[in-house]
Amino acid sequence: MGETVGNLIGLNDEVIHPAATLAVEAHNSPSKQFLVKKIKIRHDLSSVVVFAFSGSMLPKDWSGQPTFAKTEIATGEFRSLTSLNDGGDAVVNGSFLRRFKDVIGNLSKAKELKEATEKKRQVVFAGYSSGGPIAILATLYFLEKQTPSPRCLTFGSPLVGDRIFGHALRREGWSDYFTHFVMKYDIIPRIMLSPSSTEHEQILDYFKSKFDRKNINPAPPSGFYLTVMGNASSVASYEACHLMGCRNPSLDIIKSFIELSPYRPSGTYVFCTGNGNLVVVKNPNAVLQILVHCAELGESNTAEVEKRSLDEHSAYLSELKDCLGMQAVVSLDGGPATATLNDLGLSPQAMLCLQAAEEFENRRSRNLEKIRKYLEKIEVELEMMRKYKENAQISRLGYYDSFKLQNEDDDFHANVSRLELAGMWDEIKEMLKEFELPDDFEKKREIIDLGTKYRRLVEPLDIANFYRHSKDKETGAYVIGGGPRPKRYRFIQRWLEHDEKKPFGSRSESLFWADVEQLGIDIKKKGYLQEIEERIQQVERNLIAWIGDRSLDDDVLLENSTFVKWWRDLPPQHKPKSDRIEKLIGEMSERVTQGTKI
Amino acid sequence: MSQAPLFSSAGELANLVVNSNLIDVAWANIPEIQIGQAAFPCSVEPMDYSPTPNRTIVVFASSPNGTQYPLPEGGHLVQSSLFQFLSPNECPSVSINRAALDLFTSLESQLHGLKTKLIEREGQLIITGHSLGGSVAALFTLCLLDSMDKKSKCRPICITFGSPLLGDFDLQHSQWNSFFLHVVSNKDPVPGLFLPSSRSPSTSSHSQTSVYKPFGTYLLCSEHGCACFDDPDLILKILTVASSEVSGELQVVDYGEMLRNLKNKAIWKGPQLAGERYGNSFSEGIVMELETIGIDTAKLNIDINGMEREARSLTKKTKASEAKKLNDIKKAMANLEWYKKKAEDEKKSYYDCFRNEDKKRHVDAKNFMEELTIYWEDMVAEAERKPQKEGKSFRTGWLFAGTTYRRMVEPLDIADFYQGGDGRDYINSKRSQHYKLLEQWYKEAAKPPTREDLDSKKKKVSILLTEDSCFWAHVEEAILSCQSLTNATSTTKQRESSWENLVMFGEYVMEQIENCAVSPEIFLNGSTFMKWWGEYKAYIHNFRNFYSSRLVEYMKRGSYNQYG
Repeated sequence: MGETVGNLIGLNDEVIHPAATLAVEAHNSPSKQFLVKKIKIRHDLSSVVVFAFSGSMLPKDWSGQPTFAKTEIATGEFRSLTSLNDGGDAVVNGSFLRRFKDVIGNLSKAKELKEATEKKRQVVFAGYSSGGPIAILATLYFLEKQTPSPRCLTFGSPLVGDRIFGHALRREGWSDYFTHFVMKYDIIPRIMLSPSSTEHEQILDYFKSKFDRKNINPAPPSGFYLTVMGNASSVASYEACHLMGCRNPSLDIIKSFIELSPYRPSGTYVFCTGNGNLVVVKNPNAVLQILVHCAELGESNTAEVEKRSLDEHSAYLSELKDCLGMQAVVSLDGGPATATLNDLGLSPQAMLCLQAAEEFENRRSRNLEKIRKYLEKIEVELEMMRKYKENAQISRLGYYDSFKLQNEDDDFHANVSRLELAGMWDEIKEMLKEFELPDDFEKKREIIDLGTKYRRLVEPLDIANFYRHSKDKETGAYVIGGGPRPKRYRFIQRWLEHDEKKPFGSRSESLFWADVEQLGIDIKKKGYLQEIEERIQQVERNLIAWIGDRSLDDDVLLENSTFVKWWRDLPPQHKPKSDRIEKLIGEMSERVTQGTKI
Repeated sequence: MSQAPLFSSAGELANLVVNSNLIDVAWANIPEIQIGQAAFPCSVEPMDYSPTPNRTIVVFASSPNGTQYPLPEGGHLVQSSLFQFLSPNECPSVSINRAALDLFTSLESQLHGLKTKLIEREGQLIITGHSLGGSVAALFTLCLLDSMDKKSKCRPICITFGSPLLGDFDLQHSQWNSFFLHVVSNKDPVPGLFLPSSRSPSTSSHSQTSVYKPFGTYLLCSEHGCACFDDPDLILKILTVASSEVSGELQVVDYGEMLRNLKNKAIWKGPQLAGERYGNSFSEGIVMELETIGIDTAKLNIDINGMEREARSLTKKTKASEAKKLNDIKKAMANLEWYKKKAEDEKKSYYDCFRNEDKKRHVDAKNFMEELTIYWEDMVAEAERKPQKEGKSFRTGWLFAGTTYRRMVEPLDIADFYQGGDGRDYINSKRSQHYKLLEQWYKEAAKPPTREDLDSKKKKVSILLTEDSCFWAHVEEAILSCQSLTNATSTTKQRESSWENLVMFGEYVMEQIENCAVSPEIFLNGSTFMKWWGEYKAYIHNFRNFYSSRLVEYMKRGSYNQYG
């Protein structure tokens, strides 16, 4: 309590109202793609540069095919907008994306933007109504480029992205840069929770004639509220089922028979209650529940609320003038404060939903605590594995081959360790798939490092085990898309690749042994075909590169290892890099003889 | 530590269902078809629509008369072999409501054709019906589910409106449960017709009707709202209370009107709670949901705390914890494999190692064995609770692992049993049910081995586990037979039967050897098997010098040195 909106979202209060004013102005200036304005902050004399985007109320700029204009976005400029486990790429509204793409060329070239960057001024992208999505995508575009972080302010903006979109934003730590102002009944921020329909068009038509000023008082449509809010309510209920831990298996069956909107809120939401109070909420699940439940019908009749849901879309400037800078802001995060109940007018059922949203976050924190304890255990096991690997070098065999033979006590203990570790990482993997860990888990330095260490040290043993039992005969090669390779390794590899901004699949050094084993098998089966030769060359190139950057340990070069034996047996014409590799093997041999390696 | 709050999502799930147009679509065609049906006493006609290329709707309409007055004595349950497939192994009989079954049987040939047609289709399939029509729709859906396999591209859901209870079978442990959605209004007397305490016009005896079990999810509705439940006991209680409050006159509920009203209600804030907030999200939620559907919690006689405890225990079982568990099980198996290998390093079979309880490793092995047994007993029990076909597909996924487990662990149970010297007849007196089932399923699934299989087996026989997990029990019994033969107090009859056992045992072992089905470890010096051979050889030498068999020859020649 006692904080202003600016404090809570980390932006000076003086910026918000001028930004809103510019956003509304830009929205209604279709001749210009965006407007720019410099705002001076009184107390430190710094400047903030606001870019605001024009809008469009044409149905084709809101909807499209397939339903909800669903478009996968994780390519090129938006490479972060994807799930690093099996969740797929983020989905955004394709019509909004198209409009953004029309603008971005000119925006990137804008001299005001260059100047702001040079003078290290804070850049704010703002948008009102359908200008909001462009502001959001523009902000993301520059966040991906790692320019000084811009801010995003929207007012009555429709939803833009799906659950993965929000998840990726939070994982990257960008969520706090986005602030969305929403009036209690404004229909537009809710409209994307419902599929496009004649009701959608009625609403857009109404606003179009209103904004075009052709008709100052167009006749408001009616009857749309039940459709739009009914669909929005389905979405909220579906998410509430998950938050509440619904165990009825019919949920999945029913879901497969209906199509719900994929769009979900992300970023910080500021709800304007209409009586001068502002409610700031960051928990995305809570935002969705409030978005739907606070606009439910109460004592007033439907027609009244329906009219208000249209009127409030045009009320941001007057509403914000009254309440900005006032210290009447409540942050809902950290427990639903009862005081906000009255302002938002939430029902008991809605309060339960909010409680469930809060509990979901608590559960994720508890899971993280549990996993933190695992991390210590993982370190201990990995240390044992490291010693095992070191000892195995004495016999010039390497731990890969020693493990494959399973003759010694040490091999057995390593196998138990392997399974122990697999148990912990599989549990982490399942939690991630179910969003049961904090969103930024896969971005944490210590997690990526530990995972990579685990992958490089232990995956060779999984491969050894796989080929020891000739499992390729049942399932096919270890490395084939969606094949037998345990997903935990695939995920961990993606964390590193994402972190290093490398293409997916480029960090496959832990698969070196699988390539070698499978090549051995395929050569026996097929002989030296063109394709096989290329693969041999690839293995050679990989070996030299990975030994070079130390991502692959040089114990693969030990005299008695499967690799060296296999490679020595290859006919010379198939070994273009023969000299280089012989040299590496020789160096390794020397090091072992001298004992420097051990 | 205070416990994390739990929630009841019955209201939210119901809201999702009502707001989606799924049930509107299911209901849409029922009224018009129903008007066309006038036959008495009751008839049902399936109609097949494809409103969009990706969606098929099958409607089972029943005549208004049939809707209003299901047949007198229609509450009787009759055993049905037709639906035998619904029964799990553990409880093998199924009874179905007579009225529904009669209708279904009268349509059987027609429905068979429809079924064949529908299985070929792709996309969504909604099977629906009102009152008794819904009962037939449900029976048809069950048959359809039984005929489908994993390759089927058609996804069915059965939605009934105001249908009476259908039978005594239980689908709680089956995935099939999730394909059924029963919409029931608290004003509709039909769903509660066959319940003992309802004012059913049927005069049938209560003993006949009290064993009905609901299955699937019930969308229970009142004029104020709705809630979805899938706990059969709770549903039964709710139906009982609701039907006792329905006004005496039988009236037909207009489900279309009811759905329209509920849709409107869904975007209302709903009633404010009259009393205090409970401070417990779970009980608060449940009470609110029950009030919404017009049920007085006091009359319901339910244990909300118990429900909460049960829900809490369920939350512990997650995909993440299952993944961990699976690796723990693999770890336990790896440990036992190592125990076996260590025994072999010492030139002992792990059976004898365990039987003679040497080394402290024994204790560890015992712990792993227990962990594995608990796990597999659970898996087998779960398979047994599912309807036959589903249980079968459930278990084929892990039958290989289950067989390895049985071959690895059962010998240790046998060792434990015979160790004290008092154990007699393990197979018939002590063998655990889960081993028997695992073996039976393996035999059902196994294909007869080919020549090549046997050849490849010969090459790696040294690393195989003895196939018959009861092998050692046979060996132990053979030793007991030897002892009985040489025991002065044995009667002639006992000796005769002992000798007979030994002859059979000899043939059995030889067959195992020829099929490469035993591990060579049985021939290790000092093994229980070799101990038997010693005693047997001595007996033959002393008493039946001219006796020979293929096994005796094999052993005497020392051919086993070349085995494996």
